[in-house]
Amino acid sequence: MHTEHTIETSAERQNRHKAMEAISVLNALREDFKSPIQSMGYFYDLFEKVYCHHHPLHEGKAKIGTMCIQIPSEIIYALDAVPIRLCNGFYTDDEIGGDLLPQKSCPLVKATVGWFASDNFSDKPDITFSPTTCDQKTKAGAIIESFGHTVIDVGFPRTKESEESRHYWRESVKSFAVKLSKFQGKKLTRSNLESAIKKVGYAQSLYHKLTEFRKNKAVPILGVDMFLVTNAFFFDKIDEWISAVEKLVSELEQRASDSINVAGKASPRIVYTGSPPIFPNYKIPLIIEQSDAIIVADETCSSNRMFNDMVAVDEWNLYDMIDSVSDKYLKACTCPIFTQNDDRIRRIIQLVRSYSGDGVIYQAFAGCQVYEMEQRSVLAAMEREGIPILYIESDYSPSQHGQLTTRVEAFIESLKNRKRMKK
Amino acid sequence: MRYFVGIDIGSTAIKISVADENKNLIGHKISASGSMFYKYAQEALAELLKELSIDESEVVYTVATGYGRKLFKEADENISEITANAIGAQQAAKSYGNIKTIINIGGQDSKAISLDAEGNVVNFAMNDRCAAGTGKFLDVVAMNLEIGVDELSDYHFKSVGTPLSISSTCAVFAESEIIGLLGNNHSVEDIVSGVHYSIAKRIVKLVKRVGVKENVYFDGGPALNDGLVNAIENELGHKIFVPEYPQITTSYGAAVLACDAFMCNMQSEEGK
Repeated sequence: MHTEHTIETSAERQNRHKAMEAISVLNALREDFKSPIQSMGYFYDLFEKVYCHHHPLHEGKAKIGTMCIQIPSEIIYALDAVPIRLCNGFYTDDEIGGDLLPQKSCPLVKATVGWFASDNFSDKPDITFSPTTCDQKTKAGAIIESFGHTVIDVGFPRTKESEESRHYWRESVKSFAVKLSKFQGKKLTRSNLESAIKKVGYAQSLYHKLTEFRKNKAVPILGVDMFLVTNAFFFDKIDEWISAVEKLVSELEQRASDSINVAGKASPRIVYTGSPPIFPNYKIPLIIEQSDAIIVADETCSSNRMFNDMVAVDEWNLYDMIDSVSDKYLKACTCPIFTQNDDRIRRIIQLVRSYSGDGVIYQAFAGCQVYEMEQRSVLAAMEREGIPILYIESDYSPSQHGQLTTRVEAFIESLKNRKRMKK
Repeated sequence: MRYFVGIDIGSTAIKISVADENKNLIGHKISASGSMFYKYAQEALAELLKELSIDESEVVYTVATGYGRKLFKEADENISEITANAIGAQQAAKSYGNIKTIINIGGQDSKAISLDAEGNVVNFAMNDRCAAGTGKFLDVVAMNLEIGVDELSDYHFKSVGTPLSISSTCAVFAESEIIGLLGNNHSVEDIVSGVHYSIAKRIVKLVKRVGVKENVYFDGGPALNDGLVNAIENELGHKIFVPEYPQITTSYGAAVLACDAFMCNMQSEEGK
């Protein structure tokens, strides 16, 4: 006879689903590739702690939710709070959000909304700032607010060339700083902002060191591992992230001098662009690297776009610093929400050239309109430059794995052939 | 005495139930379908009647159901396993409550059936394509893990780690995934609970297609596996009812229907 067992609550079920998603990706990273990197252990364990065991990292700290990269983390750190970036890669949450949003919405937005709808966080943000970037994120902020969470919009312009835009955005950032400083009961000062800018700047410089190694002929680190490292910056304690990356940098230095190559001899070098891979949605990057190619660079907002450009300060006065911080998040941004986005195309080409890329893989989430629309101009530009490119539309569901693998493999094989023909 | 027989000839097993005039289950038998459905069914029935000391002449009505139902020529009537399952579940769960949803996992298929307040079938869904996530699949998994099918439940409850998802519930592809997991020294317990959750997720999706209404009844051989029951309960978020003999619900339903059909025929004879 069937014995009685306690039945999971919906939160427990959600946690188990997320743990199952997380562990299968972490196991793939730990087990499927040759020459594992020892100091990646910190990151594997961190993600396991947070997403399989649902451990809070920031108890007792004010946690500031951010809906996009445009909310300056420098200002949040200066005011002694922790930024938690809410861009979500879980299919579990995507399915929950799917019941609340139109069917064809972006999975990332659905997942973030689903996360709030279920109100099941290990580190729940106390307040969330939502920059008005793409339509779906803008509207998602209001939906999340309807669940009883405080969401404050931060006006973001859709053009970046004009002086009006620049002015508007600088004012937006100032107003954000005022609101956050009120919320925290703390003043933003010249000294706390300066040290926050320097700390985030140092984290960025470590990222630059990591990416330098990927220019080598023998690439010492996988693209999926890089995505995990930058992804950890979404929620990790910044000081611990910094010391873990310092260790990683020195291990990579050693590996580089030993010419350790995580890829194969003929592995094509891929530049990855498009909708951001966010843990555990590493579906396409994993397929690429399991199909004997190596991701050497990326142009995505979960990685390169978050770290590439530094805050350039002329005068270390409070208001000058705020303006400099603002400019970094507007001028340097290559998000496809902007009317004109030649910067993004230039960035992709520059990455292909400086990282000796053999081809580009462009992923758009089905439902992420701006990336879907911009593929046309990017594909045309790559054709002009003679750079092979594969465009893939996919979502968070695990179902199309087989078909996607076939497409990616065929592209990678064609790159291998091209390489051979050249020789 | 008058007795009524229900025979369910499935892909994996032949299930026979005998009911009395009050529709009570008097006895049952489960034997492998093997290669000769008809012959084995006849033999099994003869054995069962002997065990119960029932003379063949006392069996007044026989209903056959299941894939092989048309092969059993002695039957007075044939009904689909969907109808038989619905009737059997209502009857078997009488003391428990009104059944509105049935989950059935068989040897090579799985079904979800939704019933109205009177116990009529309103809607049903079956797995498409193949044996993914059925009893056969559990057999293959157990074989790969070198454990018995009846041990799966114990392993499930001993799992302390995160259940390891098997992305493919296709018996063929899952085999290589499981071998890969074993090769990387993952625990058999976590693999087993992962397998159960993969099946549970799949079946719950199927059930949601017909709509989940309580009470939910779960039958078929795999319902003997408590670990799988637990996984389905967790995926559904509420309790499910598993009968004492989950394998024979459908044959019992056929026996109950035999009883109804016989009584009905008799009344109409008398009416003449």
